[in-house]
Amino acid sequence: MDILDRILLEVQKPARYAGGEWNAVCKDWDGVKVRIAFAFPDVYEVGMSHLGLQILYGLVNSRPDSLMERVFAPWPDMEEKMRENKIPLFTLESRRLVRDFDLVAFTLQYEMTFSNVLNMLDLAGIPLRAGQRAGNYPLVIAGGPCAFNPEPLADFFDLFVIGEGEEVIGELLDAYQAGHRRGLAREELLLALARVPGIYVPSFYRVDYNEDGTIREVAPVRQEVPERVVKRVVRDFDRAFFPVRPVVPSMGVVHDRIMLEVLRGCTRGCRFCQAGTIYRPVREKKTETLLKQAAGLVGHTGYGEISLTSLSTGDYSRICPLVTELLGQHGRRGVNISLPSLRVDSFSVKLAEEVQKVRRSGLTFAPEAGTQRLRDIINKGITEEDLMEAVTAAFLAGWPAVKLYFMIGLPGETMEDLDGIIRLARETLARGRSAGVPPGRLRATVSASSFVPKAHTAFQWEPQSTLTELKEKQAYLAGRLRGRGLVFNWHDVAASFLEAVFARGDRRLGSALEYAFRLGCRFDGWTEFFSFERWLEAFRRAGLDPSWYAYRRYECDDVFPWDHIDTGVSKQFLALEHKRAMKGGTTADCRLGACMGCGLCPGLAVEPEFAGGNGNAIV
Amino acid sequence: MPSYRIQYSKKGPARYVAHLDLMRVFERAARRAGLPLAFTSGFNPHPKFSFAAPLAVGVDSEAEYVDLELSDVLLPSEVAKRLSASLPAGIAIGEVHVVPENRPALMTMVDRAAYRVEGRLSGTLTDAELESAIGDFLAQPEVFVERKTKSGQQKRYDIRPGIFAMSGTVKGDIIFLEMELKSGSSGNIRVDEVLSALQEKLPLLLKAGGFAVSRTGLKFIPRESVD
Ligand code: SF4
Repeated sequence: MDILDRILLEVQKPARYAGGEWNAVCKDWDGVKVRIAFAFPDVYEVGMSHLGLQILYGLVNSRPDSLMERVFAPWPDMEEKMRENKIPLFTLESRRLVRDFDLVAFTLQYEMTFSNVLNMLDLAGIPLRAGQRAGNYPLVIAGGPCAFNPEPLADFFDLFVIGEGEEVIGELLDAYQAGHRRGLAREELLLALARVPGIYVPSFYRVDYNEDGTIREVAPVRQEVPERVVKRVVRDFDRAFFPVRPVVPSMGVVHDRIMLEVLRGCTRGCRFCQAGTIYRPVREKKTETLLKQAAGLVGHTGYGEISLTSLSTGDYSRICPLVTELLGQHGRRGVNISLPSLRVDSFSVKLAEEVQKVRRSGLTFAPEAGTQRLRDIINKGITEEDLMEAVTAAFLAGWPAVKLYFMIGLPGETMEDLDGIIRLARETLARGRSAGVPPGRLRATVSASSFVPKAHTAFQWEPQSTLTELKEKQAYLAGRLRGRGLVFNWHDVAASFLEAVFARGDRRLGSALEYAFRLGCRFDGWTEFFSFERWLEAFRRAGLDPSWYAYRRYECDDVFPWDHIDTGVSKQFLALEHKRAMKGGTTADCRLGACMGCGLCPGLAVEPEFAGGNGNAIV
Repeated sequence: MPSYRIQYSKKGPARYVAHLDLMRVFERAARRAGLPLAFTSGFNPHPKFSFAAPLAVGVDSEAEYVDLELSDVLLPSEVAKRLSASLPAGIAIGEVHVVPENRPALMTMVDRAAYRVEGRLSGTLTDAELESAIGDFLAQPEVFVERKTKSGQQKRYDIRPGIFAMSGTVKGDIIFLEMELKSGSSGNIRVDEVLSALQEKLPLLLKAGGFAVSRTGLKFIPRESVD
């Protein structure tokens, strides 16, 4: 019995590392020119729930000249066994060593996985810093939302891919092969790759700092690379590659169902939301396309549930006909439909009513703020009336419980806004009682996350509330959201603080991250492993003050560490949005017809696309 | 509705599929195979699979069984063919035959399981020494192991009545053991319990670790005694 199989008997959930799932692809190593290891810096169950992995996996493996295999962050029990037995990080498909691949591609979904990235490189036996990888090491690359402020990780990656991957991955593979054929050395190869639009090679950029520690300039050091790297947007989303044979895990994972992406982008314009900027413009797939993909997915996966995913599925302009058709085609075979995100209105509840036969779990709504004034500041275009109609409809339709998501620490927040959250929760219960929900089953769960200022948003200039303030606010809510039917959930403020540090961080943070990894930080997104003390020690050793990053209020014309990364949405537009926010002014969704002038469509030569044609954007 | 008894093997990467996940694996395979599944009634219908005896994670098996109910009649060979083409790596379909309706649940019919164990010794051992160690082991009237109850308490449990047969050979530094143990919904004995108890008589096993275990067969209670 080989040593790996032996340690798999000694760890929890060995299926995480076993591979062999349905639709997993194991290609002939020597039959291809480029081999990529897709590295997800979190545990298998989380990584396998990520649609982006399935898209790139299907896409790369559909090319005869390339292969892609998967690797996930080993759970700490597995890491211990691997280190003890000197087993380097390996991929699931062929159990080959990650360091033998040509490219190791990480996806950066959230800041709290950064320590896992370093740990995986270390386990793979790949030098952590790009500058130490001369010779035969793989190129270590990354994409995903956190690549939109790549600076804290700049020292560790050879290159970043900015924006949607479906087209650029092919160009990257072509350029890589061309470079190889010409026998380019590592640096020259990177230079060739840096010419592919959307590819950012951080080592070709120099960062100059002002005396106060802010950034003076990020400028190319080679004239061949662009001053600003513009994000990639898939030209024709309806026809873009979409995998109908995704890998079907044999063990339970977080999203264990078909993920059918119905649209991409959201232009509602919530001012705290980074996804709203980086995934612009809104593009919907045609209904026929979706039906075809759904049929393929049901047949090739055997899943009993289709989840219609996107940032805001209720916005899909032909949602009703789509749901009716899907139920008609697959309902008889025991296939259900689910909607992961609901808008706050009674229309969405009706939709949920149609698709969900079982009403065990509650419906979730995200009003985000407790008063109209604050909702206007964040441009969350819903009213108290919308919310009350939605929860009433949910109770009347038979759901005994609702979940309400709020954010605390938002710019402009006062105690009145916290009282607003409490009032909305109580009012929700009152609606439930009048709707006749039995008192023993009636429940309103309030979740309060802490606001994190993110790069490329209207609130990127704003400081995060201090740890003390956030804790006080949580305690205030916890003390008042008590009583029958009320449940209050909150998040660890220290984790949100750290997220804020990295979300608006710069290159200097790389050393803090490396110290944190050396001190043993892993799985920081998991409360059982997160240690704030260790992180603070890491910052101390790096000689950096994390509060400087999280609590900084930037001036309007300050240079951001991420200014050379271009989302297509102009900084002027965001600045204008910021100003409007401070005055409580709102901005409409450009889906409704009028362009709000964010600069994206003319800048990237793209246009919003709607399933019913562009005159039919509104449901 | 027609029911089928399906024999399958579970090896390679599939040996890491936990028993609780098997239902999901088979349900999806059946749907991919286009089999007309019969569902339980009620709010949350699920397909009617009934598995024989849980297999520990990491253990290979040549002979696993599951009963499956369909809503239409198909030839057993057709069920075998379609399922074979739809199961993940490591699960292979053997024989399929029709079983009568209203049969007792498969799980309650399992009586014994046979296992083969292969491991590396930490020293040298002759066949004769192995034989006498096994003899000593089986000669004990009681063999107690520690078990955790559902409430998390430690409990002493006598596994000796559930050990029906054991034999072994040595080839170089590799030891092979065969054993037949009580299996099924009550009195189930696990191979690792037997191995750790056996180590008292056979300290050479101690440092070995990493046994490759396969289940080679299941024995059912004869029909008459169930009816
Ligand atoms: S440029 Fe106009 S239409 Fe295009 S995403 Fe921005 S606001 Fe919407």
